[in-house]
Amino acid sequence: MNFPLYLARRILSSIPLLLGVSILLYGVLHLAPGGPLDVYADNPSVSPEALKNLERELGLDQPVPVQYLRWLGALLRGEWGYSIRSGRPVGLDISERIGPTLILGGSAFTLALLVALPLGILSALRRYSALDYSFTFLSFLGISMPIFWLALMLQALFAVRLHLLPSAGLETIGDGSFLDRLRHLILPACILAVANIASWGRFVRSSMLDVLGLDYIRTARAKGLSERVVVYRHALRNALVPVITIIALDFAGILSGAVVTETIFAWPGMGRLFIEAMNGRDYPVLMALLMIGSLALIATNVLTDLVYSLVDPRIRYE
Amino acid sequence: MSQAVPTSPPKLRPNESFLGQALRRFRRHKLAQAGLVVLILLALMAIFAPALTPYTFDGQDPALLGQPTPPSLKHPMGTDQLGRDNATRILYGARVSLLVGLSSALVATLLGTLIGALSGFYGGWIDTALMRFTDMVLSIPVLPLVIALSGFLRPSLGLLVLIIGGLGWMSTARLVRSQFLSLRSREYVEASRALGGSNARIMFRHILPNALGPIVVSTTLAVGGAILLESALSFFGLGVQPPTPTWGNLLNGSSDWLETAPWLAAFPGLFILITVLSVNFLGDGLRDALDPRL
Amino acid sequence: MGLAMRLKPFAAPLLGLFILLGGMVSAQDRGGTLTVALGYDLDTLDPYASGFLTDVQSTFLEPLVYPDENAKFQPALAVEVPTLANKGIRITDNGKKMIVTYKLRPGVKWADGEPVTSADVKFTWEAIKDPKYLGPEKDGTEEIERIETPDPLTAVIYYKQIFSGFKSALFSYGILPKHVLEGKDLNKDPFWDKPFGAGPFRVTEFKRGQYVIVERNPNYWRKDAAGNQLPYIDRIIFKIIPNTNTTVTQLKSGEVNFAYNIPFTLAPSIDNVPGLKVINAKTLAFRHLTFNFKNEFLKDLNVRKAFAYGVDRDSINKALGGYLKPLNTFVVSSFDFASNAVPIYKYDPAKAKAALKEAGFNPGPDGIMVKDGKRLSLKFMTQAGRAEYELAQQVIIAQMKAVGVELIPDNKSGAALSDARRKGGYDVWYSGWITPADPIDSYVSFYTTKGFNNGSGYSNATVDSFLEKASQTLDPSLVTLYMARVQNQVLSDLATLPLFEAPQIIAVTEKLQNFKPNPTNQTNFRNTSDWWLKK
Repeated sequence: MNFPLYLARRILSSIPLLLGVSILLYGVLHLAPGGPLDVYADNPSVSPEALKNLERELGLDQPVPVQYLRWLGALLRGEWGYSIRSGRPVGLDISERIGPTLILGGSAFTLALLVALPLGILSALRRYSALDYSFTFLSFLGISMPIFWLALMLQALFAVRLHLLPSAGLETIGDGSFLDRLRHLILPACILAVANIASWGRFVRSSMLDVLGLDYIRTARAKGLSERVVVYRHALRNALVPVITIIALDFAGILSGAVVTETIFAWPGMGRLFIEAMNGRDYPVLMALLMIGSLALIATNVLTDLVYSLVDPRIRYE
Repeated sequence: MSQAVPTSPPKLRPNESFLGQALRRFRRHKLAQAGLVVLILLALMAIFAPALTPYTFDGQDPALLGQPTPPSLKHPMGTDQLGRDNATRILYGARVSLLVGLSSALVATLLGTLIGALSGFYGGWIDTALMRFTDMVLSIPVLPLVIALSGFLRPSLGLLVLIIGGLGWMSTARLVRSQFLSLRSREYVEASRALGGSNARIMFRHILPNALGPIVVSTTLAVGGAILLESALSFFGLGVQPPTPTWGNLLNGSSDWLETAPWLAAFPGLFILITVLSVNFLGDGLRDALDPRL
Repeated sequence: MGLAMRLKPFAAPLLGLFILLGGMVSAQDRGGTLTVALGYDLDTLDPYASGFLTDVQSTFLEPLVYPDENAKFQPALAVEVPTLANKGIRITDNGKKMIVTYKLRPGVKWADGEPVTSADVKFTWEAIKDPKYLGPEKDGTEEIERIETPDPLTAVIYYKQIFSGFKSALFSYGILPKHVLEGKDLNKDPFWDKPFGAGPFRVTEFKRGQYVIVERNPNYWRKDAAGNQLPYIDRIIFKIIPNTNTTVTQLKSGEVNFAYNIPFTLAPSIDNVPGLKVINAKTLAFRHLTFNFKNEFLKDLNVRKAFAYGVDRDSINKALGGYLKPLNTFVVSSFDFASNAVPIYKYDPAKAKAALKEAGFNPGPDGIMVKDGKRLSLKFMTQAGRAEYELAQQVIIAQMKAVGVELIPDNKSGAALSDARRKGGYDVWYSGWITPADPIDSYVSFYTTKGFNNGSGYSNATVDSFLEKASQTLDPSLVTLYMARVQNQVLSDLATLPLFEAPQIIAVTEKLQNFKPNPTNQTNFRNTSDWWLKK
């Protein structure tokens, strides 16, 4: 069957999936004790009447299924509702945070890729060499490390001790030049990339080893093709096919990992917004963020399948 | 049906020397063995914690209140600002951290195995329904949801384990399902069915043992993941509540002293690192040993 | 003696230096930027809708009157603080109602150049009171019957009742500009993206999750003694940094030069940062244990007494770095009506055990007291993730364990915490309050039977009636009298066990001059127009 039809079917089939996810999330979030207005009760000067009024206005006095249907209806009309904390449209609140998160996540993703690929390939080619052993060990270290620990250590080292990098934030206020932003990006992006460098590198290595052991590579070598041609033209291409799946699926994972990194580095992204929304029980924002997360996961899934099918001609659309 | 099922040993193992082979492969994996030894030592430490230290985990030394003290002969890892012996808290913290790690991984494995087995064995609408559900949970960003749930529910230890395990079973379910799909039409399964074996018997006696390899591997690796997740939750103040020590909340409590008393952060961080590292080495070795195809 | 002697040789040159410095600083430097660490992710710049204290808002909104560094009210837009003596307050209807008259300062302009008039005062009340306005901070709106504006500089406010807290509510947050906001939906209006008022600064940029920049308002009314236009500082940047470790890191690296509410545990690590001054400032905040009267054990006074005798304030304070000041009543020492005549419970574990014995408890096999087969084990709540509270909690757990009471930590944060607090979802609760400069209404909400912050189920007719009386009188001597009764009763009943007065730790650049910490819940940013940065 043809490609556009397959694509359309994949997209259509994600709709019930998203719907199911939304019911699941909405239920889980709303069944937890405590309501969004309780944050105001920290302040002794907020009167109970004002809270009642607010509750009615926001529809929080309705049963949860009714609230869900209202929310869904509004969502389908393109309305994400208003943030309980900021009083602004949820879409606006989130749109301001998407950019920083994508910049951070994208840089971490690219960085991880740029480091993991060559390291994985090299370690596979020089199996059992000192490089291979140290890379293996370091990557195990990378996936075994509590990330916030590493982040706090590096922050203390590079920002406070050595004064080499800014400790937090997106930019120096009033500067905002490319170089300045880059300097702010280095620490959080590296932290976010660590775990992925480790796991992708391992994956590239083993995938590469698998392929290098296959018959056609031996044949290619036997035919007298140069090592360079064998490795880069024949082996690498095939080794990368399974790697693509893992890497693409991890992109959405990087975005959720940003929750920790953004909090430590005061990075004004969606992860920070998520923590704030959670503390304030800002349901509209929380739901929107979780749904965006789900959408990202599902979209990368579909995308991965597509890319996969382009790279590997053996796969056909049914 | 009221007859007790005879506890006969599983006779239909496809390859009698499988275990022997696995052991041989495992022996080649030095790092995995080291990991196993370290984990056993850590577990022993945790179990015999009360015998290994003269202090209690919440015992405060009034003379040392207010400032952490550096490592000394009396307190090999120093004391925290409440005058509690740090080494003791790490020992007891090992209990909770290892427990959370192990039991979350077990919960995830049990759930995943059950769902995967049902799905793969019965197929049809059961498979469809369970797999759609699995897809759904897989489409939820796990870390944020775990954080949100812990923040909303302020879970007890048991609930925390359920939350971490309850959101980590999906890959196991898929794995077990695919094993079941490929195994359910094998001759020995057909044979058992012909002999009138019940579905449950066939599933858990005959098919499951053959899928054990990959399940063990994924469980092992999940232990490390759960320990790290607990520490991440502690970072947001959402993990296990002090004074019960866990490596995660010890690490979090140390963050205020990173400059003035760095040893407070160094030890729990090191223990998490060593443990998860050992778990990962062990998992790697087990994979080589039990699941040579991967 | 010896110390004083040894210091002497230094005294003379030091004195000279001070005189020299004094001569140099008499002319305040103008200009400069102050970078402040804001410890929370600011939700909105609307002070009546924000879930946080009004730090940023205080720099651009000007109130009628405000509490100063001694929690005493000072006039801002008003010419003077209305009192009975200056006829600003009149009691009518046989002492049942009151009328407050504010005379506004002539010639004051909004940041956009329009004049500030009494119509703006009336508008602010109407806008906030409007049921369609969703901001929850409507305190002080319902008590007002009507506002009259006989001329542009006079606002006459008719109260339905005697309302002693009128200065802390509503008009001390800031007056809103009618000419900009009339007819707009205050909930959603884009005005709040770059709001301005009649304050010393105006907001020029609000990047959510990152920073707020406020810059000098050229139309600000205040001038210094030499006739110079205030404020001195050009710009204040509020940098949003929700993680306190990061705040300290930024203080050390010089990326921020003003931070407040620094946790006591982090204070030692900024003690010796060059160029930074650490201020230990008195506040109206206090820490306390609150007991849930709905709990079967805690409704027995003897069990509460076991806490009063079993908790050692000195050890807790030592564990927290020694910044706190022990407190015997729930009224902090800044208030004149803080009573000395309350029952004092001195740390005495033997007395604590005796009280439990009196209540019918006997030590069980694990050291925890038992009565009728039930162990004395209680849920102990405090704010999760707040290091100071969690540490104090752990010390208290250890102290109470020593007298045979088991406390199981059950900490909560955010909305779950407030929910538990108001509904009584705890047995014992360690927490802190910071009150306004007029605290009576806060006490009403904590300790009266129907007080909306009273989740403990405490109910006492004497407390109810005397707190009501105290909230409805303007006579300070009567307030002292009534509050003495209330304090005595609450402390006899041990509805709450007051523990400490808490200061705030503020770190500021040594260049900052004339900064006066504000002890109230009205934030440190009320007198920013006087601040200046030494070049």
